Amino acid sequence: MLHVTDVKRMFHAGGIKVLAVNGVSFKVDQGQFASIVGQSGSGKTTLMSLLGGLDKPTEGSIEIDGKDIAKMRDHSLIGYRSKQIGFVFQSYNLVPNLTAMENVMLPMEAAKVPVRKRKERAVELLRAVGFTDDQMKRKPGKLSGGQQQRVAIARALANKPSLLLADEPTGNLDSQTGKMIFDLLKGLAHSQRTTVIIVTHNLSMARQADMMFQLKDGKFIEEEG
Amino acid sequence: MNVVTRGMRNAFRNATRTLSIVIILGLSIGLSLVMLIAHQAVQSKIATTKSSIGNTVSILPIGGGTTLSAGGALLKTSDLNRVKSIAHVTNVNELLSDRVQPQGTNDVGVPGAPPRTDGTTSLKSPYTVHCNDGTCSGVGRTILCLPSNGCSNGHPPSDFSLYIPIVGTTDPTNPSNIYASSITITSGNAIDGSKDTNDAMVSKAIAQKNNLRVSSTFTAYNKTLTVSAIFNSDTQDGNQTIIVSLPTEQRLTGKTDAITSATATVDSLENLSSTVTAISNALYSLADVTSDVGQANAALQPLDSVKNISLYSLIGAVAAGTVIILLTMVMIVRERKREIGVFKAIGFSNIRIMFQFMAEALTLTLLGMVIGVLVGVLGGNPVTTTLVNNSINSINSGGSTGKGGAPGFSTIQNIHAQIGWSVILYGLAAAVIIALVGSALASFFISKVRPAEVLRSE
Repeated sequence: MLHVTDVKRMFHAGGIKVLAVNGVSFKVDQGQFASIVGQSGSGKTTLMSLLGGLDKPTEGSIEIDGKDIAKMRDHSLIGYRSKQIGFVFQSYNLVPNLTAMENVMLPMEAAKVPVRKRKERAVELLRAVGFTDDQMKRKPGKLSGGQQQRVAIARALANKPSLLLADEPTGNLDSQTGKMIFDLLKGLAHSQRTTVIIVTHNLSMARQADMMFQLKDGKFIEEEG
Repeated sequence: MNVVTRGMRNAFRNATRTLSIVIILGLSIGLSLVMLIAHQAVQSKIATTKSSIGNTVSILPIGGGTTLSAGGALLKTSDLNRVKSIAHVTNVNELLSDRVQPQGTNDVGVPGAPPRTDGTTSLKSPYTVHCNDGTCSGVGRTILCLPSNGCSNGHPPSDFSLYIPIVGTTDPTNPSNIYASSITITSGNAIDGSKDTNDAMVSKAIAQKNNLRVSSTFTAYNKTLTVSAIFNSDTQDGNQTIIVSLPTEQRLTGKTDAITSATATVDSLENLSSTVTAISNALYSLADVTSDVGQANAALQPLDSVKNISLYSLIGAVAAGTVIILLTMVMIVRERKREIGVFKAIGFSNIRIMFQFMAEALTLTLLGMVIGVLVGVLGGNPVTTTLVNNSINSINSGGSTGKGGAPGFSTIQNIHAQIGWSVILYGLAAAVIIALVGSALASFFISKVRPAEVLRSE
């Protein structure tokens, strides 16, 4: 499903070339739950941006279901991203003046899904992550961190993406809520056959994934299955 | 919800900020509208005043009177032929004005003046004078009635009658010949101003006084004239006048080729000044050549000043409004950089995000427009009046004209500015342009936001 081959990403910072990702290759199958661990500055977030098509590699290919997103034009990539890739961020990144329901409907609006279907799907997803009808109408400011992250997960799943990328999804949560979110993502991967890649610095949590990649200085140093 | 409704909702995300922006923007739009209203009112007044100025040039012989019997220098037909050949002169109306005294009567002359040599007529004047304490007045005349000019006890003699003006003209239906602004033929046919005939046009008042109809006859200068037409005008001066053709009057008075005054018509107001100069040069020492353009320009000077002030203020206010909304949108976009990154990450194109911010800018601007229209309605007229009055006072105190100033100041001060639908539509269009221009730079920032970078900075 996801096939990454010798991907490199170089940045220029103050006249110095920095290889944030340096020749990473890996493969994750449909419905698998993979984790990437590494210290701060190891290149995790850069790699996630590349996998999600938010950034383009300096070298290498990233194939999702056989399509190399590294070679896609920006216009095509926007459409592809809205339908095939879901994002979950560490700080949730919900739109503060929209309700939980409206936040979940956003990616469907980008994908031009009819309004009625958007609402049905948003209700279905929010119920799946444990929301009541009343909670769906609340704005992010009225939700706890764990609830906000569950809204973010529901939003990421709105367009039934084939790849879900979660960047430190438990980083801002207490350990109990973090465990719950982790289990939710793992369950989704297996029940909905969505490929999930999670970036974390929590090694014990990462070990519970189907696959684990350890990143250091932009390179995988060890792979565990 | 779509990008437009979300943009509109975003305009109210921060109530305090929205209120502040809308008030500042409203004042800016209001000032723009006030200046637009003032500009339009002043422009309209200038146009009205200019349109009231005739594109005619008055030509009078230097040292001459306005009538033949007043004596003095005369112009000749050959002098006027030079005027006819000047560029932009479309017509020259030549006049020989005189007066005839009803037979068996006398007018009251000016004390000490030489005896009058007016011709006589069988007609009676339709008007008379009323005397009070030795001063008699009627039909625009004031007579100082003294024993030296035949009066006794402050009253004219029993054989007194006002004289009857008679004008020979090349343009018999031109109302300016008889000091009127309109002339209407009530019966008969107008005479031909170029032909020497014994036909005449008489006023309705003269016709009624003398029981005349079309084809009736009367005498003037001891010749018999036939009534060709009876006319009515809007002045008493006009309604006491006999009109004949120029050659007829020249023959009757024995002043072949003589002209007492002429009026040249110029093709446009723009060419009026240059044509006045050209005619003056052509008739150098023979005639005084004047038009209303100089007086009008002096009278319009304060309005021109207000027009310029309002235009510059309008530009300034629109620019201020644009800068306000532009900086507001730049601030909002910078503040929501992360949100823009998220929108991009989940599949929104630059254009859709830009539409959202444009809708937000438009909402703020339209709300400002509501306040602006209120300011415009309430402030348009007082501000315009104040600007005009201040400008007139400033010019008066500057000494360019005396107090009371150039003619027409009283009517120029009487200016009324109104906010019409056209002004509101202009304002609305300006507000939309302000919003679009204001969000343009914001759009540029949006296109530069790279989701990977803003999300990395978590």
